[in-house]
Amino acid sequence: MSIQVEGTIERKGFGPGTWALVSTSGDTYELRKAPADLQKEGLKVKVNGEIREDVMTFAMIGPVLEVDRFEIINH
Amino acid sequence: MKRFLLLVLFLVGLGWALTNYQGLATQGTYNSIILDFREDVGAAQIESQIEAIAQQFQIAPRYNSEFSLEDHIFVVSGDPAFLNKLKHSELRKYTEYIEPNYIYSKYAVPNDPEYGKQWNMRSINVEQAWDETKGKDITVAVIDTGISPVPDLEATKFAAGYDFVNDQSEAKDDNGHGTHVAGTIAQSTNNNFGVAGIAYEATLMPLKVLSADGGGTVADIAEAIRFAADHGADVINMSLGGGGESSLMKEAIAYAHSKNVVVVAAAGNSGRNAAEYPARYPYVIGVSALDASGTKTPYSNFGAGIDISAPGGLINGEDKLGGILQNTVNPQTGESVFEAYQGTSMASPHVAGVAALVKAMGVENPDEVEDVLKQSALAIEDDPLNHYGAGKLNAAEAVKLAGRGKFSFRDFFRWLRDNGYLNPRFWFDGGVIALWPKILMVLGSYLVAWFLKHYFPFAWTWSLSTGLVMGSSGLFFLRGLYLYDAPQWPFRLMGSSIPEMGSVVQANGLLNPFFASVLIPLVLVVLLLGHASWKWFAVGTTIGVAVCLAVSAVNAPGLMWLGEGAIARVFLAANALLCFALVRLVLKPETRTS
Repeated sequence: MSIQVEGTIERKGFGPGTWALVSTSGDTYELRKAPADLQKEGLKVKVNGEIREDVMTFAMIGPVLEVDRFEIINH
Repeated sequence: MKRFLLLVLFLVGLGWALTNYQGLATQGTYNSIILDFREDVGAAQIESQIEAIAQQFQIAPRYNSEFSLEDHIFVVSGDPAFLNKLKHSELRKYTEYIEPNYIYSKYAVPNDPEYGKQWNMRSINVEQAWDETKGKDITVAVIDTGISPVPDLEATKFAAGYDFVNDQSEAKDDNGHGTHVAGTIAQSTNNNFGVAGIAYEATLMPLKVLSADGGGTVADIAEAIRFAADHGADVINMSLGGGGESSLMKEAIAYAHSKNVVVVAAAGNSGRNAAEYPARYPYVIGVSALDASGTKTPYSNFGAGIDISAPGGLINGEDKLGGILQNTVNPQTGESVFEAYQGTSMASPHVAGVAALVKAMGVENPDEVEDVLKQSALAIEDDPLNHYGAGKLNAAEAVKLAGRGKFSFRDFFRWLRDNGYLNPRFWFDGGVIALWPKILMVLGSYLVAWFLKHYFPFAWTWSLSTGLVMGSSGLFFLRGLYLYDAPQWPFRLMGSSIPEMGSVVQANGLLNPFFASVLIPLVLVVLLLGHASWKWFAVGTTIGVAVCLAVSAVNAPGLMWLGEGAIARVFLAANALLCFALVRLVLKPETRTS
């Protein structure tokens, strides 16, 4: 399932830490395969990717969004 | 003759049993003896006696403390043989008793220097559990990011595992999560280094399914579950979750269960109502996370699928004292670090560790292990949203219960019945309903209706019965229903009587005085009095409310703004009487016309 999510990058404190995308509507996605450019707290972005229903994680903060491409809105 | 022989045999047996019976006290150790002189023995006499035994046995009796002089209590060093000698000496005549000065030991506190920071260990009472077992000969499979051989796992035993991510036999940790989880279960303890683990004599089986970024596929996890079941694991811990339902994984869990493996999983960290997969599959013990004060953490999932709660920690910015501290690796450098983590990931291994202790006590069947864990948990009475499942994990009680050895399903059902549980399945958690007051309310309202009918004849109708139920108890059994991914408040609403509805949405146990009063029955009566059949609904409701308020006044009068004391009782009782008067008022003209 490919989707586009707009929101803010956040670092969630589970295990050694996990990158999350909190959408403008308040949903939290766990980012999978987030490129280094995306790994920046507070970044406003549009992320295109796939929801991986077949992936489990230790962070368990929400649906897993595997990043395909992204667009930075502002810092 | 035969009878006489039998009697002799019985007496011999009894004598043998008595002489061999070791009283509880004889199990203690001592190296000194207490002498308590009689109150009527003078100080001079005591002194001469003390001098006499001091010379006779070459010892130096001393006061136990500065208070002992008045109590005539002396302590002498000595062993059991000496105690025996004293008991048969002259001294016996002057003393009330001569007895061993037993050494009372505190529960073994491990010597790991950082143990003091592990509030989580004390909150599950693991020290008392260690008196019985430390999990020897039990294998716990940790399905996670792998386990690295950090220094504080040096004395811990390992079984062969597998790395399903890189397809190799060595399953090292490149993230830090798995090693931390493994530490909670079996960190090397009493080794004068670092921190402690729960079942530290158990064997760890490292199974790597999550890659360095913390994710892994359902296919790998399902394979790891089967690997564990086939290679002698007794307990599986899965501090992971997410994704959708998978038959592959569901079957793997059922397979592990069929091989007597206890499967424990984390509830999830999105703070939502319902556990993640795999915690929500059948045969999996789903664990929610508690903070250091014992309340559910804000991130922990709750509701359907939560079987029990355990410490998961809550980290407040830079202050990590509220987290769970274990030895793990720094993912950047690979070096050993002591790090505090938080999450249902941390709560799950607490339950897995205690499950290993329970198994080590000889409980083999995974359903029985689950029952022992639930039954021994510290139950939370007021838990309308199922934050805690059966309650808070309690290692000491779990091991004690498992040690009774006679644990069976019959005991479990007896426990369910004794605790007012109607249905043993987790989603139908009868613990949230105080059953007896409810039954009393329904029966009471029918009794009152029957009584009134005697004086003011009227017909039983469907609307009257509906009113009685709505007013007295509601469909109370619905309140214990938790459906996956469904909000729970509609069930609470349908499960509430009219007096209880004022506090349904915020899910607290207190009654709202506007709802728990004559107000709603009065409005109903006024509105429905003119209607031939709905009028009886109003009558039934009023009777029901009267009884509900009366039972509440006696039983548990918690009212918003009015507290729980005499004011609340008087308020409820007065409104119950007003409801009753209202019914009489409505019924009186009815009898005249009929």
